[in-house]
Amino acid sequence: MATVTEPTGSTAVGTATSGRTGGWLRSSAAQALLVFVVLVAGYWVTRLMGEPSWAGGFPTGPGDRFMAWLDQVYAWIVANRNDSPLFLYFFNYISVGLGSAVVLINQALDFLTWAGVTALGLFTAWRVAGWRVALLVLATFAVFALTGLWTESMTTLALIITSVFIALLFGLPLGILAGRSEMFYRGLRPVLDFMQIMPAFAYLLPFVLLFGIGNPAAAVVTAVYALPPVVRITALAIREVPQGAIEATTSLGSTPWQMLTKVQLPMAKRTILLGVNQTIMLAVSMVVIASVIGAGGLGDAIYQALAKVNVGQAFQAGLAIVMLAIAMDRVTGAVGHGTRTPNIPERYRMPLSAAGLAVIILVTAIGRLFGLGAWPRDLSIDIATPVNIAYEWVQSVIGAYTAALATWTLNWILSPLDLLLSGSPWWLVVIAATALGWIFAGVRVAIVSAVSFLVIGLLGVWDNAMDTLSQVLVASLVTIALGVVIGVLMSRNDVLAAILRPVLDAMQTLPPFVYLIPAVALFGIGRIPALVAALIFALPPVIRLVNDGIRGVATGSVEAAVSQGSTKWQLLTKVELPMARGSLLLAVNQGIILVLSMVVMGALVGAGALGNDVVVGLAQNQLGLGLAAGLAIVCLGLFLDRVTQGRRAPRA
Amino acid sequence: MSTQATEAAPAAGASDVTFSVRNLWKIFGKKADTIIGTELERADRDRIKEETGCTVAVRDVSFDVRPGEIFVVMGLSGSGKSTLIRCLTRLIEPTSGSVRLDGEDIEQASDQRLRELRRHKMAMVFQHFGLLPTRKIIDNVAYGLEVRGMPRPERYARAQEMIDMVGLNGYEYARPGELSGGMQQRVGLARALAVDPQALLFDEPFSALDPLIRRDMQNEVVRLQRELNKTAVFITHDLQEALKLGDRIAIMRDGELVQVGTPEEVVGRPANAYVADFTSDVARTTVLTARWLVRDAYPEERTDGPTTEPGTVLAEVLPMLAASTAPVRVVEGDTLLGYVGRDDVLRAIAEDQLEGADQVAAIVEETVEEIPDEAIDHGGATPTGDGG
Repeated sequence: MATVTEPTGSTAVGTATSGRTGGWLRSSAAQALLVFVVLVAGYWVTRLMGEPSWAGGFPTGPGDRFMAWLDQVYAWIVANRNDSPLFLYFFNYISVGLGSAVVLINQALDFLTWAGVTALGLFTAWRVAGWRVALLVLATFAVFALTGLWTESMTTLALIITSVFIALLFGLPLGILAGRSEMFYRGLRPVLDFMQIMPAFAYLLPFVLLFGIGNPAAAVVTAVYALPPVVRITALAIREVPQGAIEATTSLGSTPWQMLTKVQLPMAKRTILLGVNQTIMLAVSMVVIASVIGAGGLGDAIYQALAKVNVGQAFQAGLAIVMLAIAMDRVTGAVGHGTRTPNIPERYRMPLSAAGLAVIILVTAIGRLFGLGAWPRDLSIDIATPVNIAYEWVQSVIGAYTAALATWTLNWILSPLDLLLSGSPWWLVVIAATALGWIFAGVRVAIVSAVSFLVIGLLGVWDNAMDTLSQVLVASLVTIALGVVIGVLMSRNDVLAAILRPVLDAMQTLPPFVYLIPAVALFGIGRIPALVAALIFALPPVIRLVNDGIRGVATGSVEAAVSQGSTKWQLLTKVELPMARGSLLLAVNQGIILVLSMVVMGALVGAGALGNDVVVGLAQNQLGLGLAAGLAIVCLGLFLDRVTQGRRAPRA
Repeated sequence: MSTQATEAAPAAGASDVTFSVRNLWKIFGKKADTIIGTELERADRDRIKEETGCTVAVRDVSFDVRPGEIFVVMGLSGSGKSTLIRCLTRLIEPTSGSVRLDGEDIEQASDQRLRELRRHKMAMVFQHFGLLPTRKIIDNVAYGLEVRGMPRPERYARAQEMIDMVGLNGYEYARPGELSGGMQQRVGLARALAVDPQALLFDEPFSALDPLIRRDMQNEVVRLQRELNKTAVFITHDLQEALKLGDRIAIMRDGELVQVGTPEEVVGRPANAYVADFTSDVARTTVLTARWLVRDAYPEERTDGPTTEPGTVLAEVLPMLAASTAPVRVVEGDTLLGYVGRDDVLRAIAEDQLEGADQVAAIVEETVEEIPDEAIDHGGATPTGDGG
């Protein structure tokens, strides 16, 4: 005990007195290192003492009771789903309604036949985004058809349409309210912040509880997950309408409603559409993840293929989703930007739309006449087999190396860290987390950290949470290190920047789910592919933030430093990186949050830990375990976010 | 001295006054209502800020605007003039005091009634135009009519009329972003005129424009004023603009009105050192008129000089004096008002030439004594110590 408290105490003193006195102890990094050393020391001390009972993992009693209670709740819900008025008249209605909505849209798409859907998609894309995007849409439909996944694609599309509709139905009014009422905005903002750090996987279970497994739960969870951007950006857009326009129209006697409909909404329209675009993109990523709770379509195809480690099949479905995501982004983004929209004189617009509609109807009629429906499966090209052959070949060539790399990482980094976290006395880990919160972000975050870790313990998923945490830490370190290096290089080299930028753009529009596919292709299943997927997923925003941060450093400061004879290295370390500190900290924060959300998803490729508890909870009807794991993920997210956000205000 | 007489008369009746502002205060801050009525209300701005955290923007302002006149409020930035004009249409709620439009207390109006007043009786023109970039010019101009509920054909006809009047014919279907600053402000003007308001409120409407365009727009306002005979309250920080447009000018400093008077009074008889300093760069000969200097004939003075009207500025009187040794006779209609001699004009010119704070202060002390009833800035520091 003495070994523990003493150094931790001195850390605290170091922090408290930091400012004037103290040497190297003043730096946060040194303090964090000290915390780590104490943790390691604590681990060995208790180990050498023969792991006494007071120095083990978190007691499982409360967690077991909690899960048992959750299981009872679930059992009650299952038993009463068809009698309780709450379910009978509320959730079941919503469930049936949503289910029917998805089915209805799906049927509508079926009715149009593949020809009609393609005509509709092409015309819409051309009208709002120009012929290049229309070609992209054509390519997308071609991929749907030729991979033999037309039906799945239409299901996914129907799910996206339904959930985006729900998200907008609630999101737009909320955003408008928040845009017009300061008080409402202040109340809503922390909720939105919280929703955005919550990993997608943590959303799944509560909705299963309410709606059961299937499309309705998937539609609702997708809508909820996709809600924040449209609310936030609508509020922002309305608040950003110039004061001058508001004053002028007020002085002419507008009513509040006239102000909204004639001034605020028209002027905020483009920005709001960008929010809608982001919401749609979130919906695309979530709809795929929701295959875990029974959403059909392309996500399910990947899910099934990954379960069988059939890289070829996963690749096919992944390709379809990637095309869908990029096409959706380009079409809906163009509406917001309005740059690529063909410039059609106003008087031709109506006739043109009518003509387009006529063509779509005609194509559909012809399609139905010839008895077309979904694109016939036997007219598809088998991509899976060649991909699988390529995969085998790659495996035979580099498989040994990747396997060696994986094993080395596992044995020398991941497992020791996991052992340290789950093998140390639980209270020492809680203290370490608290100390880190204090060092990086002050007293309030220290309290948040302590509470988060205690809750994780009380939920009864301590060991798995420590496993997840160790994965997150390792993947984050690699991501941030690589991201900073690439970001710095990109900021130095315009050619590299020109090449990387569109790649990063494209990577950021893809649903995270598909990153699992290359990771599995290279590293098989287990914790390592999950880390690799997290790395690929989190790297683009980190690179981008570092690059933008350095490029954003004032030219004047750079010129001044160069004129005084700085070397390039001095310029980077003494001027650019310190001045880009805000962006760098944001990069660290974003990187870690994205890594966490991906690492838990890694359970689908055998990464185990908390994500696996969620999957097992779903698959084996152990909702207690699943929900507890979901809550623990939220706690971890909260801890990681708050600690890396640092102090809101700089030290006085 | 007819100018002075009209100035001094307090407007008691409502019918001959468009705007009547009495004891208007606007204080920004959380404790705004706790200041008025306490001894703190006399304290200067900095002290109030220090003690309560509140900012006094408009302090105990009273004035009347008569029908058909252009009433200019002039002051430097931060003097509270923009806040003042916003209080007139309640874009900013005053902290206390009353504003009457045609005898109706605007402060007491319900939301509904206030909207009616804004839709029919007063319209405002803004420094940064406040146009809606999403709407075509004609829809911008018609906005006030649209929110009244006027059907489209009618409001378009009316808007078209206004667009023609401000000379934007042909730009009806353009968007504000395609127009230059001067043209955009013409749209702002047309929009305000479209609702046919009784009073126009101008908030530094030409400050954002180039000097040349600014001159055009000033002429435009003078022209429209003459044609339409609207009452206008015009905010500016530009003295030349104030002198050019104003029937009367109110000079504002630190939220208070320092002086209210005709351009001649402001230039010829500044109420205090601040106004004197402010107007010191103005060439008096271009502002002061014969009426201002008119006097009775001295004994044995020649009375056969050339005649002129009382509104002639001194710059135009000068050539007449040069041509004859006799003083100019100032005649209004058939009545002889009096004489203006070389010495009178020379004195006015001499005042222009004076430079340096001491001399200005000396003049001011002299003039201040002559003006009994003017609002004098007691708390204000005199610029004597500046040392030119």
